[in-house]
Amino acid sequence: MNLAMIAVTSRSSLFSKTLLSRLGTVLFFVLFSASAMAEQRTGGIYGLPPCLTLSGQKIDFIFRFIFWLTAVVFVLTQGTYITYLIKYRYKPGVKAHYSHGNNALEVVWTTLPTIIFLALAIYSNQVWDQIHSPAPENALTVDVSAYQFGWQMRYPGVSGKLSPSDVKKISPENPFGTDPSDPRTAQDVISPDLVVPVDRPVHVLLHSRDVIHSFYVPEFRLYQDCVPGRTIGWVWFQATRTGEFQLACNQLCGTGHYNMKAPIRVVTETEFNQWLAPRQQKNAAASARATPLPIPGIQAPGTVPPLTAVQSTHNL
Amino acid sequence: MSASIAHTTDAAETLPAIHGGVSHDSHDAHSDHAGHGHGKKGILHYLWNTDHKVIAMQFLFTSIIYLVLGGSMAVAMRWQLAWPGHPIPILGHLLPSTVVSDDGALIPGGYNMLVTMHGTILVFFVAMPVLIGVFGNFLIPLKIGAGDMAFPALNELSYWLFSVSGLIMLGSFFTPGGAPGTGWTAYAPLSSHGDYNHTPFGQSLWCISLFINGLGSLTGAVNYITTVLTMRAPGMTLFRMPLPVWAIFVTAILLIFAIPVLSAAAALIVFDLNFGTSFYEPAGGGQPILWQHLFWFFGHPEVYILVLPAMGFVSEILAVFSRKPVFGYKAMVYAMSIIGLLGFIVWGHHMYVSGMNLTLSAAFSVSTMVIAVPSAIKTFNWMGTVWRGSIHYTVPMAFAVAFVSMFVIGGLSGIFMASTPVDLFVHHTYFIVAHFHYVIFGAIVFSVFAAIYFWFPKMSGRMFNNTLGWIHFWMSLVFFNLTFFPMHNLGLAGMMRRISDPTVYDCLKQVQPLNVVCTIGAMGLGLSTIPFLINMFWSMKFGPKAPINPWNSTTLEWTVDYPIQHGNFPVTPTVYHGPYEYSVPGLEKDFLPQNEKAPAHVTLEAH
Repeated sequence: MNLAMIAVTSRSSLFSKTLLSRLGTVLFFVLFSASAMAEQRTGGIYGLPPCLTLSGQKIDFIFRFIFWLTAVVFVLTQGTYITYLIKYRYKPGVKAHYSHGNNALEVVWTTLPTIIFLALAIYSNQVWDQIHSPAPENALTVDVSAYQFGWQMRYPGVSGKLSPSDVKKISPENPFGTDPSDPRTAQDVISPDLVVPVDRPVHVLLHSRDVIHSFYVPEFRLYQDCVPGRTIGWVWFQATRTGEFQLACNQLCGTGHYNMKAPIRVVTETEFNQWLAPRQQKNAAASARATPLPIPGIQAPGTVPPLTAVQSTHNL
Repeated sequence: MSASIAHTTDAAETLPAIHGGVSHDSHDAHSDHAGHGHGKKGILHYLWNTDHKVIAMQFLFTSIIYLVLGGSMAVAMRWQLAWPGHPIPILGHLLPSTVVSDDGALIPGGYNMLVTMHGTILVFFVAMPVLIGVFGNFLIPLKIGAGDMAFPALNELSYWLFSVSGLIMLGSFFTPGGAPGTGWTAYAPLSSHGDYNHTPFGQSLWCISLFINGLGSLTGAVNYITTVLTMRAPGMTLFRMPLPVWAIFVTAILLIFAIPVLSAAAALIVFDLNFGTSFYEPAGGGQPILWQHLFWFFGHPEVYILVLPAMGFVSEILAVFSRKPVFGYKAMVYAMSIIGLLGFIVWGHHMYVSGMNLTLSAAFSVSTMVIAVPSAIKTFNWMGTVWRGSIHYTVPMAFAVAFVSMFVIGGLSGIFMASTPVDLFVHHTYFIVAHFHYVIFGAIVFSVFAAIYFWFPKMSGRMFNNTLGWIHFWMSLVFFNLTFFPMHNLGLAGMMRRISDPTVYDCLKQVQPLNVVCTIGAMGLGLSTIPFLINMFWSMKFGPKAPINPWNSTTLEWTVDYPIQHGNFPVTPTVYHGPYEYSVPGLEKDFLPQNEKAPAHVTLEAH
């Protein structure tokens, strides 16, 4: 059984590197771009999906390491076990060996797994720390608001910064907890799709309006719950190539959970600006018509509270 | 005691029932059942009875009903996942209108209800009552040489609390809105707010049912602990107790600490749902993640509550049919105790990505990696037990042997999730569905089958049918792996758990054939219970009479003949040595019962 899995995984890693598979992807896009279908895989569909982020590559490395470690352990232990099961089956006249165990062996097979498991835990947690290092300065910040049963994204307006918001004010009427009387609020660009530039860090602020949802993108190797009443501010990713994917809710959130998805488009920086700029201009114009003067005395529009502050205030 | 079995060169003589096959000749004594009551007749005898053996049977029959119910729900879900929106044959017409559409296809909300009830029923109304209610009750007094449980009336009360809680749980299907659809984990605030779940009645009943079920578990646990500590026969020291008794003893201690946390947490959900409190509602100052901490503080020990008894049964069955002492008996006991202790400090591994403090996730991953060690120790000791044995392949042995392999697969796949970064990818995917079904079905249910076949002769006084038993075994093994192995690949492909229609995601359409494979496996697995049920019910009535000790086993339950009278032992047995003295050199027969002194010329190895 495990052999099948080995074959599948090695195939996927092989295929994803070949020119053939790249060509296939391109061809697929040409054929299916009209239907706006998310990217389909061209080979090794039963192994890992293509990995699109830098942190995902680190995760895949540990995944493959654990895979081979467990595969070797599986083959060795089960090989030995099955050999014993066949070799020591009942034979007339052969009595079983009388033994209550062996303390030296117990020490060996206690110590060895302990060392391996602890080493694995330490290494894993180093990578865990790297993945959750603070988002780089040049990161694009996108506010993500999950609700029963969909997603909304909020992008910075012309100022380049998100308008101020307060997680306590988030409600069905005010999905991002912004201040409606603040003129900067109208400048924010709201989108049903998650559109992100390639090769640039994207920092997502995760919010929920009602129940716990989760932000899950298999191709990004990314899963994080969106908790109502909280801002989860430690998630950022950097996509390494363009493509179309789907954002999925992966935390049972009610009747419509199975279909709570949103399109993700990873595009070039130019395409991204072509998408965002007109929307920013439009909102800026509308906002200028509505309120001519910014209200003084309000705290500078912080894009994000500093990451450390977010982490320290709301953790349980 | 049958102390003088002739020198054994033939297996049929050592284990008469094994190779002798099962002849269907004896209709002679099928009125035996009337004999083991004490006064009451007919149905009343089974409704209120303080004899631990009868209570064990009450638990067994009730949980078999739930096994069929919960299993059917799984097959209905699998049908939907393979062929989304297609009416389910037969089952579709048996489900209430909150679950299926008029033509018998699952609706998304109904799918969520089945997800919830399948998990809840299988954990609380099948696995726990069978492992603890049935075998805890049946085995503890018989194996330690006691006449009954310490508190017989409390014992029967435990059954009735369990029974009532089950009816309340099923009743939730018929409340306005239907059964809860929030998963067996019932994450707040989805579960704690009627506006979000639209099933406030069903969810409240779910909580109340688990509360009452918890009381049943606690009364049972108090009984087991007291019985084990105070009612052991003379000579039955703690380190002479058979491993199933040790396992259930440790389990009972876990129950005492874990269950009240769930009960309290569930009570808070009832308050939030019905009385306007905000324990889990951020708008009122509550904390959604609080529920997860409380639930998993119960929920992770719960995993070990289920797996420890399973490990105990398998350790004994492997020894009996390998005709060898358990390899590293004390290591087994220490490993179980350490699992019990560590089990309380690993709950956070369900919450790496919940929004919990990231450093706390890292800490929990260390304790989680460490708890894999005692499980590894046990696996090595099982291999040590069969090593240089004289292995007799019977149906219970086949299930026990398969248990070890399935447990190894389930254990190894757990290492992926234990690693915090990998969990970012595989969390809540079918990879984890595969993982815990390898543990809960492949290991725990297989060990339950092993235990039922193994103790069937003592429970019913009759032998089961071997052919049906082997059909059951091979069907279970093949269809189990066909159902659950491909789920690893589905999970890696990104398939989320608890979604009623994978085809809404473009990236999952390609792997849909695997979903069909899993469903075919699940249907086969469902069918595999038919030979099992026929075998049980038919053999219970018409099987050949079982000899007093069909497996030539050493523990005390095999020293009393069926029907076992109320009070179990005509004379309290005296125990002279540890539980697994098989193939002792210098002895003619290959087993030395616990109540039999070793002859002077024979030295028993310390264990």
